[in-house]
Amino acid sequence: MIGTGEPNLVAISFFLGFIALSLAITVWAARKTQTASQFYTAGGSVTAWQNGLALAGDFMSAASFLGIAGLVATSGFDGLIYSVGWLVGWPVVMFLIAEPLRNLGRYTFADVVAARLRQKPVRMASAVGSLAVIAFYLIAQMVGAGNLIRLLFGLPYEAAVVIVGGVMLAYVLFGGMTATTWVQIVKAVLLLAGATLLALLVLARFGFNPLNLFAEAARMYGDGVLSPGRLVTDPVDAISLGLALMLGTAGLPHILMRFYTVPDARTARTSVGYATAAIGFFYLLTFILGFGAMVIIGRPAITQVDAGGNMAAPLLAAAVGGTGFFGFISAVAFATILAVVAGLALSGAATLSHDLWVNVVRHGEANSREELLVARVATVALALLAIALGILFKGQNVAYMVGLAFAIAASANFPVLVLSIFWSRLTTAGAVASTFVGTFSALLFIYLSPAIQIDVLKHETAYLTLRNPGVVTIPLAFVVAIVVSLLWPAPEEARKFHALEHRLHTGQ
Amino acid sequence: MSAARWRVALSLTVAMMTVYFGFILLVAFDKPLLGRVIAPGLSLGMLLGVLVIVAAWVLTWIYIRWANTHYDRHVGGLKR
Repeated sequence: MIGTGEPNLVAISFFLGFIALSLAITVWAARKTQTASQFYTAGGSVTAWQNGLALAGDFMSAASFLGIAGLVATSGFDGLIYSVGWLVGWPVVMFLIAEPLRNLGRYTFADVVAARLRQKPVRMASAVGSLAVIAFYLIAQMVGAGNLIRLLFGLPYEAAVVIVGGVMLAYVLFGGMTATTWVQIVKAVLLLAGATLLALLVLARFGFNPLNLFAEAARMYGDGVLSPGRLVTDPVDAISLGLALMLGTAGLPHILMRFYTVPDARTARTSVGYATAAIGFFYLLTFILGFGAMVIIGRPAITQVDAGGNMAAPLLAAAVGGTGFFGFISAVAFATILAVVAGLALSGAATLSHDLWVNVVRHGEANSREELLVARVATVALALLAIALGILFKGQNVAYMVGLAFAIAASANFPVLVLSIFWSRLTTAGAVASTFVGTFSALLFIYLSPAIQIDVLKHETAYLTLRNPGVVTIPLAFVVAIVVSLLWPAPEEARKFHALEHRLHTGQ
Repeated sequence: MSAARWRVALSLTVAMMTVYFGFILLVAFDKPLLGRVIAPGLSLGMLLGVLVIVAAWVLTWIYIRWANTHYDRHVGGLKR
């Protein structure tokens, strides 16, 4: 049967084609990557539609494509809760974060937080928050890649993880942000085109009316598939999940970094508009794909291939489009993982080199050449780390790891970033305390939750009933920042806030 | 103008959050209502979920329109 570990020639050819194209882009980009600014931000020369597609590409990870389609296929309506939550984060990013970030920073979001606070403590704290998010997101992508390649190409899991790490390393190391952006754009276009075509092939069987498809699903599996089900049983958990999904987007380092690749605030704003349109359209498609798989393939066949339902979209492609189309969709899914891993590694390298090495170790006095060298060394270290994590966490649930990354991003990075932009009285101590409390409370709550205690560690009971930490840890991070800042005020830092306001609006 | 920028940004953020958390609260507290089938193959919850996505599009569009016409003109004046 297709998709159960038999090497698929079409998939392999498409995949090799993508690798060849992306490496050609990397060779071209390598010539334009001579300075730290070109490495981190492609010299700030990316246009609005390019950045919009790249943002969408960064966001439409394998977790959203395979995961949400699988979630819809196995539980119906509940998948929509995730799609909606992930999308509504984008308007918030646009209204509150995108333009100030573009105008106040250079390479990392810590630039904005540290703009008027004490550099070293703030950058160290932000680095902890960023690296925690990147690590969990990397685990999710690497585990997903390993499983996918094993299922699609018949390669061993470990070999797949090493290939992903190696190819990603080539993109980032030589091509920097230029290569990463273009790989992301190519992948976003392929993914949108592939998903659209697949949805059209599905809808062709239902008179091009999605309602006929949904009605057929309801006839086969009951009206339950059209209504909220088992995914969010507890009201507080539903709110908690919603908060983390919405606010996590605004705290993802690899997304925030993209706002530095455009020339000005207006372009940043317009690019988020394109990204929101593309991502929303894509999520509507995955909803159709999920229901299509549920009806055409059938739930038992989907969960038989992969218990989490992650193979629903590729299986559907095989059913409606034959082996060739299956190969194409599989290759696109794999390209998706590669591109997202590259974006993550690049933002991790920026954090290690720009925040930690240049501004903490070297007191802000390293030249561009040294910064670039350190960033490249950091990229190699991150690629090795990604491979190690991928092998170590084999068998973990992919969607859950991504959820974890969002929860940490929303608790550790989002509160500090928003307060540093909006609240003049935020102090260094407040920012550092908030980042640490946000990061570690999110980690602690996740560790004590049923998802780890019962599902992973196989204990009888968990210390907490809450599965998603956001409802506690996000407000907690805000409260800590505000209380610490008010208890130990720093009038000098507040004065600098007003000096920065002009730059926040004009970028000058 | 700075105040106007934040007023617009915050109102739109509040609007987005209201729409989204309205949806999430219904998921949390009134599942039967969302499960009500209003047309063959369409439940109220699915319709509302799609409308939240449409709302996100509309709100970003409003903001881009406002910022590109009013805000940018003013900021352009500041730079000169």
